[in-house]
Amino acid sequence: MSDVTVERGGHVVIANLSLILDESRIAIVGLNGSGKSTLVRTFNGLISPSGGEVVVHGIDVGKAPKAAARAVGFVFQNPDHQIIFPTVAEDVAFGLRQIGYSKADARGMAVAMLREYGCDDWADRPISELSEGQKHLVCILSVLAMEPEVLVLDEPFSSLDIAVRQNLLSRLKSLRQQIIMINHDLDAFDGFERMIWLKDGTVHADGAPSAVAPLYRLHAMQMAENLAPKNL
Amino acid sequence: MISAYIPGESWFHRISAGPKLLGLCALTVLLFPVDKPGIAALAFSVALVLFSAVGWEGYRRLMALRPVVYLLVFLLIFHALTGTFVSGLVTVFRLFTMILLATLVTFTTRMEDMLDALNPVLTPLNFIGISSRRIALAIALVIRFTPVLIGLAEELGAAYRARTGKRAGPRLTAPFAVLALRTADHVSEALAARGGADGFEDTAEFDGGLPKK
Repeated sequence: MSDVTVERGGHVVIANLSLILDESRIAIVGLNGSGKSTLVRTFNGLISPSGGEVVVHGIDVGKAPKAAARAVGFVFQNPDHQIIFPTVAEDVAFGLRQIGYSKADARGMAVAMLREYGCDDWADRPISELSEGQKHLVCILSVLAMEPEVLVLDEPFSSLDIAVRQNLLSRLKSLRQQIIMINHDLDAFDGFERMIWLKDGTVHADGAPSAVAPLYRLHAMQMAENLAPKNL
Repeated sequence: MISAYIPGESWFHRISAGPKLLGLCALTVLLFPVDKPGIAALAFSVALVLFSAVGWEGYRRLMALRPVVYLLVFLLIFHALTGTFVSGLVTVFRLFTMILLATLVTFTTRMEDMLDALNPVLTPLNFIGISSRRIALAIALVIRFTPVLIGLAEELGAAYRARTGKRAGPRLTAPFAVLALRTADHVSEALAARGGADGFEDTAEFDGGLPKK
């Protein structure tokens, strides 16, 4: 992405940002309001920049937002906002039908995928009866079923207990997809190659997590002491 | 009734959605002119027996229909007061039968199959510029988000009770509406991330080796 600027409600959220993201595991950190969510939403056209251009795997997102959305799978924070269909297999099959598979093929592939992940009997289960962790897994499977090139996760798993979260994170590790993840809990970035620290819509630090994470943690701790209620 | 599918392998599950919906239509038409309480009661008992196809779980979930029962009892009282008790009885049996059968169809048919069965009926709408695909999606969204919104309303009510010790009643209508709209924003964003209401069929410019039909 080059020279990207995003304005929302009159103020600049992302300012003249240029980045080349080609590592396979990229962490994005920053305090609330630093522009993390806005940034990743320019990757699949959910937010259009007011200046600059974003190119994902050769696709100019501004010109072909649909194609970009196809290449970038997106996992949101709250599974209840993401799962569209009433039962598990239907939701997984939905994405497949979106890319043109027939109903029967899509269902077959969805069921096969559930089996591969050890969720054989989930196919016809109503979403409302799943636990939070199970819903998160359905979100991930629904997106992976569409075989995206990039998987973006915006603060996933924040409502989960440590055991379930660890389990889901370790499932992500083996994926072939490039992963770009936003998270507040720095422990989630085990095995990541690069960490980008955003502050006020610009890159404040960018490098190996072993170098960036301690700086960011220190900064956050210092901020914590001086935060006025209006900045909470 | 808006309620989820009950997974199962019963003979009723195996009938495909189209015939079930057509049968339901036909029965409604047939039952409509019935004016003998005996026949209406018989239809009701048959519906109850058919309902055994979904087992105990089905009967248990029927409890959710209690408000409808109150309505029907009220209807019966109204008929009794106006001196038309028998026709009231017939009406109540008839409505009960239809509700039972409609619920049975809902319990034994996957949402997806139901929407596909409706597709031919909705297709003519395409000619006047309304996409049948969007209507099908809208129906699925209603079914998926009814329990989610009920959950939100319960949380809101609990938060109110926790601070006031009182039940909130209609006071929470406005905050609930705001919450519901915010949820809708999130959902539309997530839907857009998966290709939006019309899917990816128009993304011919991009096929970088991705599976595509």
